[in-house]
Amino acid sequence: MTFLLPILLASLAACGLTTALAAVLLVAERYLVNYGPCRIDVNAGDRELEVAGGETLLASLKGAGVFLPSACGGRGTCAYCKVKVLEGGGPVAPTELPLLTEEEVAANVRISCQVKVRNDLRIEIPEQLLSVRQYRGVVERIRDLTHDIKELRIRLTEPERMDFVAGQYVQLEAPAYGDNPEPVYRAYSMSSVPSEDGVVELIIRLVPGGICTTWVFTILQEDDEVTFSGPYGDFRLSESDRAMVWIAGGSGMAPFWSMVRHMKEKGIARPVRYFFGAVRRKDLFFVDELRALEAELEWFTYVPALSGETDHDPWAGERGLITEVVDRHVENGAELEAYLCGSPGMIDAAAKVLHAKGITEERTYYDKFG
Amino acid sequence: MIAQAAAETSPGTMLVLVLLSAALTDNILLTRFLGMCPFLSISRQLRSAFGMGLAVIFVTTGTCVLNYLLYVYLLRPLAAYGVPAESLKLILFIVVIAGFVQLMEMLIERISMKLYFSLGIFLPLITVNCAILGASLFMVNHVASKGFGLVQVLLYGFGTGLGWFVAIMLMAGIRHRLKNARIPPALEGAGITLIITGIMAMAFVIFQGMIKI
Amino acid sequence: MKQTPEEQRILQRMAPGVLCRAGFLGDDPRPLQEILDTDRAAVEAAGTTHEALARCLREAYEAAAMAFGADVPVAGGRLRATWHEAMGFLPSPFGGGVRFPKGEVELVDPEAGRTLRYTPLSIHLIAERGFYQGRGGRYRLEPAEVARLFRLDRGGD
Repeated sequence: MTFLLPILLASLAACGLTTALAAVLLVAERYLVNYGPCRIDVNAGDRELEVAGGETLLASLKGAGVFLPSACGGRGTCAYCKVKVLEGGGPVAPTELPLLTEEEVAANVRISCQVKVRNDLRIEIPEQLLSVRQYRGVVERIRDLTHDIKELRIRLTEPERMDFVAGQYVQLEAPAYGDNPEPVYRAYSMSSVPSEDGVVELIIRLVPGGICTTWVFTILQEDDEVTFSGPYGDFRLSESDRAMVWIAGGSGMAPFWSMVRHMKEKGIARPVRYFFGAVRRKDLFFVDELRALEAELEWFTYVPALSGETDHDPWAGERGLITEVVDRHVENGAELEAYLCGSPGMIDAAAKVLHAKGITEERTYYDKFG
Repeated sequence: MIAQAAAETSPGTMLVLVLLSAALTDNILLTRFLGMCPFLSISRQLRSAFGMGLAVIFVTTGTCVLNYLLYVYLLRPLAAYGVPAESLKLILFIVVIAGFVQLMEMLIERISMKLYFSLGIFLPLITVNCAILGASLFMVNHVASKGFGLVQVLLYGFGTGLGWFVAIMLMAGIRHRLKNARIPPALEGAGITLIITGIMAMAFVIFQGMIKI
Repeated sequence: MKQTPEEQRILQRMAPGVLCRAGFLGDDPRPLQEILDTDRAAVEAAGTTHEALARCLREAYEAAAMAFGADVPVAGGRLRATWHEAMGFLPSPFGGGVRFPKGEVELVDPEAGRTLRYTPLSIHLIAERGFYQGRGGRYRLEPAEVARLFRLDRGGD
């Protein structure tokens, strides 16, 4: 019996101590980690949000209905979620510094997914982001446009409508799947017309190794539910009457497909020359539809150009790099506006050609997807 | 020489000697070879080494004191009932260290983000650092053999952490200078660091015997 | 071996699904430092440098990028490069705030029947970090092979 007492006391001591420590930690967590409600003042009183402290600024804003763009979903890698924090942001975290330039740090720009909300904040965000919302929809149709481009037709379910301007884009959420442990977000321009109620169409090109496009091409099915936020972006028709030059390649078709049909509906008869660059015949799509529009609308000209192998193609259209074709067709750019949609490299090269023709920087529009 | 002087000192000087011996002659890393793992990897960058060193000082001081109290007010009295304090202390000290680190991380994050970014992020890294546990265990020996009281334990813990801090800062400085040196590829990284540690340890041997507490 | 928080973050960013679908380490079981060390040794054995290899890869990329998908001859006509463009930018897993256009370069050696793929980001990783990515990854480049392809391994410039 005498050996039982030490064992009992030892167990009591050990358990007692561990329990006491656990209790201390729980109490500490309740009081130390609990930040209570915090106020976020957006754009000097334009919006006042009340959120529960302790989350990242990005997540707190999202919970309160303000959707900042983010590609990596809050993991501190994409730097899309920059925000100006005028007050209450605390010191800049070591995870933010690699993503910010010195000027940005001096201007109080922060990476919102790395800023923890611990007290009241005053922030500044671009005005139009305040009208961005989160939408849920059902995939009504997935159509193959080429071997590596698909068109997604989404019917909005919640809310049922979205107001947007032709040329804007949404951030589509690709959920966790396969090797991809967390959702990511990717920007796609809307190819549907704003007047078509409750419907959003996207044109998506497969990127080898791309997280979102692989999900769209291999897993997403018709009738699946999708989530996206929008509308984002400044890319849209200007207010003026000037003639326009549009240049696109691959999935860059999307905003222009929306714009031209919108212009037809509203009777906006500004002269447009639409240059679309691809490598081979099989990379072109909507050719018949665009040719039909060209025949029907006197102000619209469609110029597809192929840069690839020429032998087997019965192609009577333009040949050469898109930049060469534009060079040939555009003479005096002084009164022209240019709209560019495509990869960063194509945009840079096209912009150079256009500026050489006299189109000014202010009249060159392109979407900076971040 | 100093050992003799220590034999006839006033309590105040005694305390200073406790601190110095913990930091120098009994350096937990260079004399006792504990806490090598983060020492080897985090000494790569001066800034991280500084943060890590501060975190170690903080935790050794705190846990030595806490474990002293645990030992004196719980374990030793229990020994009277046949409970083997010596075997229990190992597991209980680890639990206390883990709890302390967790608590400190929460506190620091709450009190000052700046402090959190410079030292708080290293706290989880040293929860199972053997130098922290070693400090507490050596402390118990000193309590048992030399009758250390609370103040001595506090200074001992602080001195141990300080010694680790000095060692890692020295190493980080040396590695910084080594950046442009031509080191045989096979020795790069852990290899050369261990060699340098050995040389530093040999240098610290000169302190041995100077202070005998 | 313990790592600084910064190193842990870098490794996290290299995992699949974080910056790109396959990640930067392929299915290589070796730790990052070992991959870097082995590749550095291979580059030295080939008698060239990371910068020289990166320079050749960059020249091929720039030539191909001007053609928007059509293939162009590079390296004096021995190789053909095609630029497959994509929208968007990728940051480096090592941080640094710089972003690189997405897309890949397809470099073909018709004689040897070999195809290599790499991206603007991988050029940067090679030049700045000597990082050729983990084996098994789509954009893994073997330094010895690149050196041979661009005829850099005969000690030339």
